[in-house]
Amino acid sequence: MDKQRSLRQRLGEEHVAGYIFSSPFIFGFLMFMLIPMVMSLYFSFCKYDIQNPATFIGFKNYIDIFHDKSFWKALRVTVYYAFVGTPLKVIFALIVALILARDTKLTGFYRASYYLPSIIGGSVAVAILWRRMFEPTGTINALLSVLFPGMTNFNWFGEKSAIWVLIVLTVWQFGSSMLIFLSALKQINRELYEAAMVDGANKWKQFWKVTLPLLTPTVFFNLVQQTINSFLAFTQSKLITDGQPKDSTLFYTLYVYRKAFPSMGKSQMGYASALAWIMLIIISTVTALLFWSRSKWVYEE
Amino acid sequence: MKKKVISVVLASAMAMTLAACGGAAPAAEAPAAEAPAAEETTEEAAPAEEAPAAEEAAEAPAAGPYDPASAGDVTIGFGWWGNQVRDEVTKAATDHFTELYPNVTFNLNAQTWNDYWAQMTSFSSSDTLPDLMQQDYAYFEQWVEAGDLLDLTPYVESGALDLSKLPESIVQTGVSASDGHIYAVCAGMNAPGLSYNKTLTDELGIEVPDNMTWDQFVDISREIYEKSGVGVLWHNLNSENPITYFARGKGHEALFTTEGVTVTPEEMTEYYTRLKTGVEEGWLFSTEKCASVDMATIPQHPLVFGSDPSVRSWCAFNFSNQYLAFANAAEADGIELGITSWPEDNPTQANYLKPSQFFSITTDTKNPDLAVAVLNYLINDVEANTLLRAERGIPANTEVAAAIAEEVSKVDASYPIIVDYLDFVGDNSSAIFPPLPGYAGTVNTDVIQHLTEEALDPASSETAEDLGAAFVDEANQVASSY
Repeated sequence: MDKQRSLRQRLGEEHVAGYIFSSPFIFGFLMFMLIPMVMSLYFSFCKYDIQNPATFIGFKNYIDIFHDKSFWKALRVTVYYAFVGTPLKVIFALIVALILARDTKLTGFYRASYYLPSIIGGSVAVAILWRRMFEPTGTINALLSVLFPGMTNFNWFGEKSAIWVLIVLTVWQFGSSMLIFLSALKQINRELYEAAMVDGANKWKQFWKVTLPLLTPTVFFNLVQQTINSFLAFTQSKLITDGQPKDSTLFYTLYVYRKAFPSMGKSQMGYASALAWIMLIIISTVTALLFWSRSKWVYEE
Repeated sequence: MKKKVISVVLASAMAMTLAACGGAAPAAEAPAAEAPAAEETTEEAAPAEEAPAAEEAAEAPAAGPYDPASAGDVTIGFGWWGNQVRDEVTKAATDHFTELYPNVTFNLNAQTWNDYWAQMTSFSSSDTLPDLMQQDYAYFEQWVEAGDLLDLTPYVESGALDLSKLPESIVQTGVSASDGHIYAVCAGMNAPGLSYNKTLTDELGIEVPDNMTWDQFVDISREIYEKSGVGVLWHNLNSENPITYFARGKGHEALFTTEGVTVTPEEMTEYYTRLKTGVEEGWLFSTEKCASVDMATIPQHPLVFGSDPSVRSWCAFNFSNQYLAFANAAEADGIELGITSWPEDNPTQANYLKPSQFFSITTDTKNPDLAVAVLNYLINDVEANTLLRAERGIPANTEVAAAIAEEVSKVDASYPIIVDYLDFVGDNSSAIFPPLPGYAGTVNTDVIQHLTEEALDPASSETAEDLGAAFVDEANQVASSY
């Protein structure tokens, strides 16, 4: 009986239809995630320059990486960027969300306009704009020289300050965290504030005793998401500073890219693959630590 | 687009048929892979017979020039690194080819030097390199080694590619040491040249002599810096060019050998001392200052761009063919440029004439005969070279160089200056170093860059001796692990 069902009927079956509808994802996942990942795992044990076939060299890449000064430098820069930039960004997003939580006529407009940078912030155009703004004769210095006469031509791309140009850019892209905070704020039960008021708590106390504890799950979520994003940041480092000066803004991803696609000489794709896998381990560890810390400070209802 | 899809489908269908027809399995393999190449050129012809014929043609090209009109509707990919001016002139020259042969269109791909090689490397891995690619004297051996460049010798022998008007010594620069065959054709001649802000030096009453020694250069730079606040931007931080030039001044015959570098730690100490002194005295841009300016695009280069003396450089270390683009940018800035040799002790020994860059045909091309015809056009056609405005250097074809001189000078007032400068270099130079071994590019990115950054950093704790020793050590290590 079964064999006589038409093709149409077969396609209509639940599990068949399910596979058909999810096939674009499955195809994409295999082609662009799983297969490349397996390949890069293999290449990480190889000497591979793209143009010639790969030769297996065991753990040599991984051993070399631990003696590579640039690797440690890139790691330090990225960790600094992630652990300084991310909290600043989350705090900033929270402050703006608190301000915009009240409903007034213009709130919608403000929310939209503050969200805008996080849509365009990672783009090439903004990176180039940022570069121009912070150049010695750029807008920022022009403004500063008006506000503080005598302060001219400060070099923002110095060894100490260049990373801050990038951190300011990431903080400026607080929009998506802000939106998540906003929706979380709306879900806080009004009765809790009324109860706190009855107990004589002022606004300040209400924030620390009611709002913040109830927001900790959202803070946690934003922190995890933005930390991972910071580790994966690339465009800013490549386009605004190109890692300069003296590798002080060399993000880990840019270092991987340079090894894989150097501006001169042969590609070191095997080495780059090994770097990428080390990055995976680092991000997993950091995320695991964040999750482990969850029970210490996140308030669960 | 639709046409292309159809031709690809046709081509793969062809490939299948071919594979099925070919009796012997190993023999069938190769034509099957080549068939799409043949197919696109012969879309309108009877495919079954044509494909194998074209496949043979790829190995032994037909005698005499190839007629591009017979190629059918095809697109030729052409990739280069360069600048705005180069992009415009190259487009003009390829447009002219399309006017002559409306069936041939071009897919142009212009990049900056730093992005070009990264992109081409990834194209090479997916076998999608453009038909024609610009190549560099320093790196083409690496590409021959990887099997990415088409052997041009058969085409020269068949007459499809005419190199008879090029001096033999220049043809030789495109010959690979590996097998003695031609893989690249010189696109133009140039020489290292120091472009400088003549408006500024005239204002200050400073004479910039040719064949400057290093000390003369330091004196001039110091004076300009004290009087105007304008400094000096060094070469790209990851470039071997200044060290090559320095080594030439010291009398070496190459900078890189297969075993490592020829310069001694003592010599390199002298080299890094020069940089450190310049930064200490203030006239040479420090690492941090280099990071705040745009060195990669000519219109934004501190020689021609910047509203404050502190971000300006009175000179730029580049090559004579780039003078054209710099002069264009200088005009926009309202200044006039001059050109002279890079400063070095023993200047006539240090300076050299060089093929500015090459054109090569890649093995990924589907239309080798047509690509060769385009290459032949770029090298030997007077009209093409008039449109190219000698931006890639003075044409290697001496007859063409003579024929375009007047026309190009009308468009570019700087052209006669470049011709004069190359004449001067011709009389004041020694032979170019051999092409670089494969590991040299890695020395640039992994060794030279960070050592130059240390040398130009006034806060660095590394002495010139440390840097000199580190250069030799690290470069030799890269060589031995290649």
